[in-house]
Amino acid sequence: MSVPAPSSGGDLRVELGQLAREVLPGGRRALDRLLPVFAALAGGGAAVYVAGEEGLRREALAGSGEFPERLVAPPAEALAFAGGFLAWSPAGPAEQLPAEALALALAVAAAAREVQLARRLRVQDFEAKARGVQIEALYDVGLAIASTLDFERLCEEILMHAVSLLDARRGALYLREGATMRLHRAFGGDAEPAVDPESEEGRELLSGTPSPSCCALPGATFLLGVPIGVARVARGILVVGDKESRHGVGPFPDGDRRTLELLANQAAIALDNAELHRDALEKERLEREVELASEIQRQILPKGVPDVPGFELAGWSRPARHIGGDYYDFFRLDGEHDRLALVVGDVSGKGMPAALLVSTLHSSLRLLAERLSIRPELLERLNRHILESSAANKFITLFAGELDPATGRLVYLNAGHNPALVLRASGAIERLGPGGLPLGLLPGASYRAERLELGAGDLLCLYSDGITEAASPADEEFGLARLAGVLESECKRPLPEVVRAVEDAVTRFVAGEPQGDDQTLVMLRRVG
Amino acid sequence: MTEGLKLRVDRRDGLAVIYTEGYINNQGGEEIARAAYSLLDEGYRRLLLNLTGTKIINSIGISILIEIIEKMLEIDGRLAFCELTPTIEKTFHIMGLAQYASIHPDESAALALLRP
Repeated sequence: MSVPAPSSGGDLRVELGQLAREVLPGGRRALDRLLPVFAALAGGGAAVYVAGEEGLRREALAGSGEFPERLVAPPAEALAFAGGFLAWSPAGPAEQLPAEALALALAVAAAAREVQLARRLRVQDFEAKARGVQIEALYDVGLAIASTLDFERLCEEILMHAVSLLDARRGALYLREGATMRLHRAFGGDAEPAVDPESEEGRELLSGTPSPSCCALPGATFLLGVPIGVARVARGILVVGDKESRHGVGPFPDGDRRTLELLANQAAIALDNAELHRDALEKERLEREVELASEIQRQILPKGVPDVPGFELAGWSRPARHIGGDYYDFFRLDGEHDRLALVVGDVSGKGMPAALLVSTLHSSLRLLAERLSIRPELLERLNRHILESSAANKFITLFAGELDPATGRLVYLNAGHNPALVLRASGAIERLGPGGLPLGLLPGASYRAERLELGAGDLLCLYSDGITEAASPADEEFGLARLAGVLESECKRPLPEVVRAVEDAVTRFVAGEPQGDDQTLVMLRRVG
Repeated sequence: MTEGLKLRVDRRDGLAVIYTEGYINNQGGEEIARAAYSLLDEGYRRLLLNLTGTKIINSIGISILIEIIEKMLEIDGRLAFCELTPTIEKTFHIMGLAQYASIHPDESAALALLRP
């Protein structure tokens, strides 16, 4: 474009005024230098306004005059240029400005336009880079799937990324606990401790567009929520609140929901992995604990059988898990007749709690038997002790006998344990009576001592219900008759072999079917 | 409870260190800007932003930091950052802050470069 040669008087003013409405090159520095000159020529002050998202904003100011920072519409006598206008004070028609001022207005407009375009480019560049940061963040959360197995750290990372990526002021991460979404972590303020996903509020959060009344983040005006994982079986909810801008907070645009969904999808996989890892660690810890408890229980069970003149003795136990609830013991009692105590017990339940109760039973039984021998008072004391020291639903069945080897007499007590079998040398089989209540069931339970005379060749078999209730693949029980049958057919063999024969028979019967109960056998046979 | 930004300013020979703790968002960024511009008014031309207590920043906070960098460039000052989390450091590189302000792993390295 060619600049017309200046003519004189009013013509020059008009020409320069026309030129000022067109574009000339400029920039920030040009604007800052030219505007004060223009203001002086205009006789007071001047300001450049540019149009932005928030309306007309004052870009530059020089001299005196009323030029508010923001305007709704340009003054009637301003000089407009693409994307803004130049205003001056005192106000008046452009044609009344000095010719030099009008000429200068061209350069001011061009400079202002360039400043505005440069800013727009910077904003676009900033937004493009911010999208790059978003993609990187999504990638980082994806990487965490492979690298971050610390569940708590992962939760923190997910929430931090969500809040920062969406320029939110607040955020919260809820994780499913049964039917409830429980608050796991909050940022930037308090959050509702729990959300019912079936409630109106829960459905709003899972749908992504909670209403303003939703109180997941109390005090937040604008909320955005997405499910972590598939909505119907979401493992959590990710919520952010109050989208920030330089001028305050506002709602989240549609694109933010998609970004948050992508983040939540990555988070779901990462959380699954971290949780599996956490469970594996917990399982490993429990297995170590169980192994230790199993070792303790192995120490409790007798390592061999005592030498009892005129008698054979054998014991065997197979726990259903690493640690069982069955227990057996033989130990000598103090006294002049070299008496022997035989005990078989079964603690209700399995696993660690049962093993702990077995340990309690073992120590208290040995201590009490030293003082009381195998007498009703022993079981009555034990009953009280077990009641006081175990959970309400725990009880123990126990058969305890005291053998006088010299006479072959067995004094025994039965607290709800399976009736013992006696295979007489004659081939007759007897069942000993069931006795009293299991230990730990009722306070004040009483017990009665019974006597059994064992003659030469008589065999006493004590067992736990894991033997008789051992189940086949067809869900049939091994039963007392099969046990008696094995005893009858194998009774001429050495006692450890008889025990082995029962063990083998049970093993064949169950045919690999997993068993839910421990199996224990104790046998005593008079040989002379 | 809100997790606003906490600031501490340490003035040393010819330079000032601004320590931040918390979220650098709109509010946090403006607090940093106020502190920085106040230091410029006091005559400091070398500033260090130690973000050791900051784990999270958003784009509004970044835009304010960019404005501070631009201001520092206008007056031929120097601005440096240190003690950034890996996420924030990566963000600064992507957003271009690292082109105009140096980033250091720790304060001593930053001070060695900034000292007049």
